[in-house]
Amino acid sequence: MSDPAMIKSIVDAVTIPVMAKVRIGHFVEAQILQVIGVDYIDESEVLTPADEEHHINKHNFKVPFVCGARNLGEALRRISEGAAFIRTKGEAGTGNVVEAVRHQRAVMAEVRKASVMSEEELYAYAKEIQAPFHLLKETARLKRLPVVNFAAGGIASPADAALMMQLGCDGVFVGSGIFHSGNPAKRARAIVQAVTHYNNPKVLAEVSEDLGAPMVGLTIDTNMKGGRLAERGW
Amino acid sequence: MNQTQDRRGVGILALQGAFIEHQTALQRIPSARKINVSLVRTPADLAKCDALIIPGGESTTIALLAKLAGLLEPLRQFSKTKPIWGTCAGAILLAQVVENTKQGGQELLGGISVTVARNGWGSQVESFEAPLTVTVLEDSEKPFTGVFIRAPVVLALHPSPDAPPIQIVARLPPEAVPSTRLLTGLEDPRTIVAVRQGKHLLTTFHPELTKDGRFHEYFVQNCILSSHSI
Repeated sequence: MSDPAMIKSIVDAVTIPVMAKVRIGHFVEAQILQVIGVDYIDESEVLTPADEEHHINKHNFKVPFVCGARNLGEALRRISEGAAFIRTKGEAGTGNVVEAVRHQRAVMAEVRKASVMSEEELYAYAKEIQAPFHLLKETARLKRLPVVNFAAGGIASPADAALMMQLGCDGVFVGSGIFHSGNPAKRARAIVQAVTHYNNPKVLAEVSEDLGAPMVGLTIDTNMKGGRLAERGW
Repeated sequence: MNQTQDRRGVGILALQGAFIEHQTALQRIPSARKINVSLVRTPADLAKCDALIIPGGESTTIALLAKLAGLLEPLRQFSKTKPIWGTCAGAILLAQVVENTKQGGQELLGGISVTVARNGWGSQVESFEAPLTVTVLEDSEKPFTGVFIRAPVVLALHPSPDAPPIQIVARLPPEAVPSTRLLTGLEDPRTIVAVRQGKHLLTTFHPELTKDGRFHEYFVQNCILSSHSI
């Protein structure tokens, strides 16, 4: 969790909703963020986890939570704990979209698989992916996650953002992909437009022009400094 | 045979926010077969529409994206002749004056002569639901569930002899007002949550987030299909 004074100054400075991060399992940080009035909380693997077995019981809070997931089972476990939104974990801070693509493709493939299963098969599949049966059944009926699903972790260009939208995400989170680039304001504006016009290659071409240097992308491997963040979470 | 040609084109501004929910709601209502629903992201999309819904979402974001897409001026022209319904963030865009904006103000369409304030009841955790009595809807004895999320409030109505009369369509019941300390009394404009002026409709809540399609049916029947405006 960041300094509450800084978070409050951001809430006062902008008119849009503000989201702040807490460590996995750190429900007291979440109590603090709720009382200072943030609009959403991200229970994030990007910060060092506070609990290696449990996530926050998010039903105890009024403020909505977002959590990361690499596959359908993980997403439905988080939703059963009370997450109001899901996002891909991707690999935060790398500027490399490959992990976000992997996670979104995994979720969508499992949703499609579940959507044609009989009830008996769904019981067995719920056990296999360690997901609550009732949420899996609802997902199979809707043919999508029962909550809003964002892309996160490695999005660095307007094309990356539109790629994630075309893979079935409802929205996109971008952090270092903007702030570590050559011209953050211009790149942010372009990525926002790319999310709206994700199905219009003509607009995507226009907004991708002349954005300055992108952030330097990292190769994702096990020797990466700090280790792989996406593996945090249970 | 060619029934689709007689249908009215209803666009949903799909720059940001709950546009899919409006699309789903319009496909479920009794008048669904009298309209063609489309998503609007460009001036060319807008040109095909006879009416428009501006969804809930984040109003500065929608205004910024509309400006970048070259839609602001086409939308202002559209609002002069064709019906628009704004819900929540859309209500802010449709208003004439808005308070609590970012520095430098916010782009507006001014289709309805009201002043609104953004986030009138507080932040995300102050969101609430309230049963509304709406006499103009079908089965009006059955309350309509108003979903208020970071909702705007109406601060003032500006009736004028040059503009169509402003009709108050729904008010918050006194027991549902989240913080009465803000109010000057039961007639306080902040309790006004739905307004109609001419062909335009404004709701500060989100009818698209309920399964109740009566507001969508009302907009299609009374603002689009019936030729006379009130």
